[in-house]
Amino acid sequence: MTVIFQLNGEDCRFDGDPMTPLVDILRQERFLTGTKAVCREGFCGACTVHVDDEAVPSCLKPIGLVQGCAVTTIEGLSSGNQALHPLQANFEAADAVQCGMCFPGMVMSLSAFVRDNPHAGRAEIKAAMVGNICRCTGYERIVDAVADWLDQARMAGQVVRGIHV
Amino acid sequence: MSELSATVMNLPRRDAQDKLRGRTKYTNDRVRPDMLHAVLLRSTVAAGRIRKLDVSAALRCPGVRAVATGADAPGLYGIGIADHPLLAIDTIRYHGEPIAVIAAETEKQARAALAVVVLEVEPLAPVSTMAEALQPSARLVHEGWRGYEVITEGGARAGNIAWEAKSSRGDVDAAFSRPDIRIVESSFTVGRQNHVPFEPRVAIGSWEDGRAHIQTSTQVPWTVRNVTGRVMQLPPGRVRVTVPPVGGGFGLKFDASIEPITALLARMTGRTVVLENTRQEEMATCLCRENAEIRIRSAVTAEGYIAGREAVVLMDCGAYGGEQVFLTTMTAHTLGGNYRVGATRLVSRAVYTNTPPNGAFRACNGVYNTFALERHTDEICDALGFDPMEFRKKNVLGDGDLGATGQVFEADVLGPMLDRMEALRASTGTSEAKADGRLYGIATTVGTWFVFVGPSAATVNLNADGSATLVTSGVEIGSGTMVQSLPQIVAGQLGLAPDQVIVREADTDAAGLDVGVGGGRTTVSIGAASVAACAEVREKLLRSAGEMLQTRPEDLVLRDGRVEITGRPGSGMSIPAVVAHAQATTGPVTGSGAFTARNTPAMSGCAMGHFIDALDIPVFVVHEAEVAVDPDTGHVEVLAYRVVQDVGRALNPRAVMGQIQGGVVQGLGYALHEEVTITADGRIAQDDFETYRLPLAQDVVPVAADLYEGAPSIGPLGTKGAGEVPILAVGAAIGCAVARAIGKPVRQLPLTPPRVLRLLHEREPPPEFPHIAPGWASNTLG
Repeated sequence: MTVIFQLNGEDCRFDGDPMTPLVDILRQERFLTGTKAVCREGFCGACTVHVDDEAVPSCLKPIGLVQGCAVTTIEGLSSGNQALHPLQANFEAADAVQCGMCFPGMVMSLSAFVRDNPHAGRAEIKAAMVGNICRCTGYERIVDAVADWLDQARMAGQVVRGIHV
Repeated sequence: MSELSATVMNLPRRDAQDKLRGRTKYTNDRVRPDMLHAVLLRSTVAAGRIRKLDVSAALRCPGVRAVATGADAPGLYGIGIADHPLLAIDTIRYHGEPIAVIAAETEKQARAALAVVVLEVEPLAPVSTMAEALQPSARLVHEGWRGYEVITEGGARAGNIAWEAKSSRGDVDAAFSRPDIRIVESSFTVGRQNHVPFEPRVAIGSWEDGRAHIQTSTQVPWTVRNVTGRVMQLPPGRVRVTVPPVGGGFGLKFDASIEPITALLARMTGRTVVLENTRQEEMATCLCRENAEIRIRSAVTAEGYIAGREAVVLMDCGAYGGEQVFLTTMTAHTLGGNYRVGATRLVSRAVYTNTPPNGAFRACNGVYNTFALERHTDEICDALGFDPMEFRKKNVLGDGDLGATGQVFEADVLGPMLDRMEALRASTGTSEAKADGRLYGIATTVGTWFVFVGPSAATVNLNADGSATLVTSGVEIGSGTMVQSLPQIVAGQLGLAPDQVIVREADTDAAGLDVGVGGGRTTVSIGAASVAACAEVREKLLRSAGEMLQTRPEDLVLRDGRVEITGRPGSGMSIPAVVAHAQATTGPVTGSGAFTARNTPAMSGCAMGHFIDALDIPVFVVHEAEVAVDPDTGHVEVLAYRVVQDVGRALNPRAVMGQIQGGVVQGLGYALHEEVTITADGRIAQDDFETYRLPLAQDVVPVAADLYEGAPSIGPLGTKGAGEVPILAVGAAIGCAVARAIGKPVRQLPLTPPRVLRLLHEREPPPEFPHIAPGWASNTLG
């Protein structure tokens, strides 16, 4: 089966088994290794990408279902020398990263969350992280960094929904 | 001390941006299309004899380039005892044990070939538990145990007892016979804990110029080098190990496992070979924190003096000795730590079973020994009517007190730390109101651990652009030592900014021996070696600068990238100018440094079978937990968590706080819901993220922490390792807090809701160990 989709803004064509998980195409054929295959069962969230602006675990997304969709990976969120997404910048500034393997997925999940939930508080942020596991950090710095960003954005009067991710 | 002010800072991580952008290439991101893929044939029985193993059909399968079996790598490896083959030879000892490996052009082809390997196994009844293994009639997990090479002398061994370590100080029998004491006895049992690093064990092997090159996700490149040499029967110098950024270790990657297989296949095929555990394999063959059984007795006077203490600790090493052989040592320093005790004797036995081998996990057996000791301490307080906090204040180790092996502890540390915990609690307040009708408990516990010092080497090259290159065998596993503390230390020694310090990732061809990133040792041991290397660099630099400035070297200082005359800021010249002069006159400016254990003495005759008789750098913690227990469901909510940690000197306080938060949360998982059980057929039952319940964001609370500085340490600038110990006393604090909340003794972890409900309704049987003899001496090999 042939699948045509957009990958980080460019046309992409796949020929093969439509049940192939998207994460395998990204990592093994496109060498986009920022998407991490950790549990491969949809629990850990390390393989989260955006499919038509929605955060989804790419391990559970058969490639056949992305026909005509726009897929954004961590590499496409801020490519080249572009500035970091504000969440990435906040995570860096807060010294939140440790081993780092969960963070690409964490960033992809939470960037969609803050776009859609500009008034979320800590409890809502934590609830949104139920599908993103981190084994190193104990989470709180990540939560703080997201909450800080939402506060900053609200104080700056920005329309968070308007951030293109 | 200007050196200190130039070193201590909240330096951010230089690797954070690439990690956040997904650009960091961990080992398992380095797979290329021209590599062969290896897959393992693993045992589906827990014990058996291999009657037939025929791989000829597999070799003929499409895409297959090599098949290897135990015969291709016959050397045995281990810690203390060489008992472990790379691939099973004749005997299968655990479910999941590798038996053969296939390398093919694609993983799919390799898996297809697995199906045609002819394997006939005569199953044996597995020795599943330590209770079974210690029966006099038990089948030996290692029939040929007597013939194994002993790598470290001194441990007692017999049959299914892989190793036994004992400590004995004072007349314990006399202490227990005193008329003025009460005897309190407690038994505890704990299960395994799976590390679950996000990057599984993975290696990429190639064969280059007659030598193996292994890129791998390890904490100890030198162990991978040495074990690969052993099993392939090569001089270890013919193995090179390099280490990309590691996606989490937590101790799992402190031993070699699958890495040598890639070197073997690379030699057979001449190709580069990748082998990566699937998540299921990773969890089912995890070198877990071991399950253990502990019986502890104390003789305590009515005044609260601990006259005598004895304990038996059984540690399940699984099918092979591994780290547990070493870790028997740590019982003396953990169960034998925390408190001043009159006379004490402790025995710790690593016991073979037909279960997946266990290994090292952050603070290792200290975590459960501390749980046992602190719960036992609370049981003493209950039995004799002492206030638990007052009892601890009265009895914690202080200056001049003796440890279990007769080590003399220096300085009062735990006592002042308990005071600091009370101050911390006063500043945060307590959270009893949040219990909201549920059962509330609060507990303060203490813990003793150590820094695993041991050999480290460092080379520092000072470059003509004013940068310095630090070459060590250190590995960045996420804790930040390679990107924070080490560049901070080197910069502070040489008057540079940390971003001028280039840190070379581990390469055993480039850097000297190192016993690994673990045991809280990197900042201390590699840091000390780096300081020594910097001293040589500084000496050369100041000598050259002295010639140029016509000033005595002792009148010069390194500051802000310049060699200055003492007391005259802005004088002298830039470091690059001096380096350029030195390069032209005496040659490039380099320094090398080394560090190892000081070997603090124990009392003669007190420690038997120990790898470490006394702690060079003890590390103490005080942990306090507040919990609410739902009496209807048994669910435990952690309401608040506080830590006072002995850090010696915090070089990067913000980074240390990050380690404390992360370590405490791993401990909360261990205490409350990370449960590993072994099935009747010898498998680890929880081999995925659905069945193994890791802490999630909603399970955790922000940890309030106070860093206690100033306790003595031989670490550079007074540092102690800060990343390992935050997990040490979590099981203890949670166990004690839950016991107080429900008013029942907690003797087992994890405290899952069903277990807590059973405890509440007195339907949880207390641990009983018929295989632990009543008399202490009967539990030793004499």
